[in-house]
Amino acid sequence: MEGRVSAVNTPAHTRLTRRKSYGRNCMESPVVFWQTPGHLTTLGTRIPTSRGAARSRNITSKVDPEQLALLVKHEWKLAYVTPLYRFQHTQLKLYSKHLTAFILAEKQQGVAIEVGLEAGFKVTLSTIHGMAETEEDAETVFIQIHSKPTFGADALKPVWRGWLTCVNGDGEYLRSLPPDFVSLPLFCSSGSESLTSLVRVWFERTFDCNFGSLFLNSTTLNWLAALWTGCHPTSNIRFLKLSWTMPTQPSLDIMYTVNPQDAWELWNSIHTEDSAEGRIHIDEVQRFMNGLETHFFRHFKIYLSAGTLTKVATSLGSAHHEGKIKIGSSDYIDTLLTLLTECALHRTPV
Amino acid sequence: MDEQARAILQRILRKLPSKKTPSTLRAWGCLSAEQLEDLDYTQPKWLLLENLISKCEESGLRLKDVTKLEMVYHIENPNQGKWHAFKLTEPEDEAVSVDFTQFKEMFVAHLEEVVQHVSIRMKKQEDGAVWIRMAWGDNLTRPNHLKPTYAVHYLQTPYVFILNLSAKHKPFLYQALVLSSRHTSINEAHLSGRSLTAMRDLLMKQYQQVFPNQERTLKERNAPPSHPNIEKEHAESAERTHQMACEAFGDGTVPKLETAVYKLETRYRGSSNDTLSDRDELFRGVVKFSSPNLLESLRHCVSTGMAEAPVTPLLSSITQKGRNYFVIAEKAPGATSQTPAR
Repeated sequence: MEGRVSAVNTPAHTRLTRRKSYGRNCMESPVVFWQTPGHLTTLGTRIPTSRGAARSRNITSKVDPEQLALLVKHEWKLAYVTPLYRFQHTQLKLYSKHLTAFILAEKQQGVAIEVGLEAGFKVTLSTIHGMAETEEDAETVFIQIHSKPTFGADALKPVWRGWLTCVNGDGEYLRSLPPDFVSLPLFCSSGSESLTSLVRVWFERTFDCNFGSLFLNSTTLNWLAALWTGCHPTSNIRFLKLSWTMPTQPSLDIMYTVNPQDAWELWNSIHTEDSAEGRIHIDEVQRFMNGLETHFFRHFKIYLSAGTLTKVATSLGSAHHEGKIKIGSSDYIDTLLTLLTECALHRTPV
Repeated sequence: MDEQARAILQRILRKLPSKKTPSTLRAWGCLSAEQLEDLDYTQPKWLLLENLISKCEESGLRLKDVTKLEMVYHIENPNQGKWHAFKLTEPEDEAVSVDFTQFKEMFVAHLEEVVQHVSIRMKKQEDGAVWIRMAWGDNLTRPNHLKPTYAVHYLQTPYVFILNLSAKHKPFLYQALVLSSRHTSINEAHLSGRSLTAMRDLLMKQYQQVFPNQERTLKERNAPPSHPNIEKEHAESAERTHQMACEAFGDGTVPKLETAVYKLETRYRGSSNDTLSDRDELFRGVVKFSSPNLLESLRHCVSTGMAEAPVTPLLSSITQKGRNYFVIAEKAPGATSQTPAR
């Protein structure tokens, strides 16, 4: 009531100017809700609305199956990495030595000295050849940390794994980098949090780069659900599992497991093969997910849109919105990594 | 004290929090007050175990005494392991008059008749629950006390709850339960969970239920067209959804179920413009709801508008039918109604 009275009493011209200034503010700094100030990216405007359908690629002919096996089955925590300054694939042996020394030094000065098994570490960096898809993609680097038992001649025990990769990275962006920079924007790690942070710190100091956590938004998860479902005729996905969390009190988890054949038939009824050389459009992905959510709604009358899509999984892999993935099989690995490389590049502050 | 007795004692002691250990041992009643005083409960558990074993040996306690302690532990902690609910059907005329002594005698007799080596312990609680512990052996081996089956039956009700029952022993236990409680058959109730108490409360409707308000339904039916005062209209609608949520899932503290599973074998009901809507085949899937307190979550979900009110029969069937596993099938070709089947 009071507000209304004052509004009436306010001279008309002040209100007009104020309104005008609001308008100008809006024009000057567009409010982009998923970006914090200072994180504006050059890629922000180039979120693709369509992408190539997942195709089975005989990746084992390009990549050493033994190396490929290292990427499968573990759960990886994702992070983005800014371009590495003066990183050279030819110097991996030297980097291994430096990183080993760094970890040992840090472990010894810190409070958290683990006696026994973890007294000694051996770090190896290696290249996984053949993961790169384009000329601009840098080859994948794999890091493995083994602990050396102090007593006895027991075999080395792997305690931590991580890799930096770039698959189908945005060509224009990669070409625009100054010559001394190598972009491996996606970092996956599996192992103790303390070792992860040591590796990060060493990379940050040595190559003047920056790591940040990578979350997967629901659009990314929707893409994966559709891309993986599309693989079913050639590679049995066994199930399509979608998980939502509803913000109720206490929180409610809903897991919807769809029969793979039925999921594919729904996808097939939405996706038209003849649309521009096997490309998938975001609209088709949305309609697919809407179809599943509507089918669910017709049964349970629950609006899944009120909750968060937290996880998508098939036998080909799983992805969690907190930035965790599992690669179930090396088929279609490039489809997943292309999508994740893109997410990582979008998060990279410029 | 043989190996089995030691192993059971060790297992119970490991599961018991230090604070609860003295009271559980007291409830057991096999050691004297002085012996219990002597024990130092702040000791590490392995040491306490050694001391406890020596006290047991002092008093000449044996395997059967230790199994009694295990039973005390389970009665005090009915929220351990996975319980399955069963329902006895078609009671005979005598079913209402079966008392504990009768039940016990008949149960033991029937079970021992078909299983050569079985060790049975039975105890009636104050709330009317009969706790049965069974350790199974076969023709040649002695009962294995490390893998006992527990069954809890409320006399004069059709409900039985079972923990750790193997498929091999299922028919024996079923038969003994049916005969000694004077019923004709027993069926799975499609209800399972960690909390025995929650399942009992749900099945026996021992929670605050809300019934449809006659006045409200009548008023709604004769309601005047939309109220001009939006605020009041909103409050009324919010109250109505809350009421409907409580009718479906109960008010106040509700039985603590953790999961509900629906196997969907229905036709596709997605957006109408999808071509899949016309097909005759079923769209198969499994939906699993999980929460620390499922009924509370669902009630909150409905009353906050994240789910549409009135509550779908699929969800209200959890309380109405006392089940948390459903197979939803198409009623008849072409029918669109959803009924929890089977």
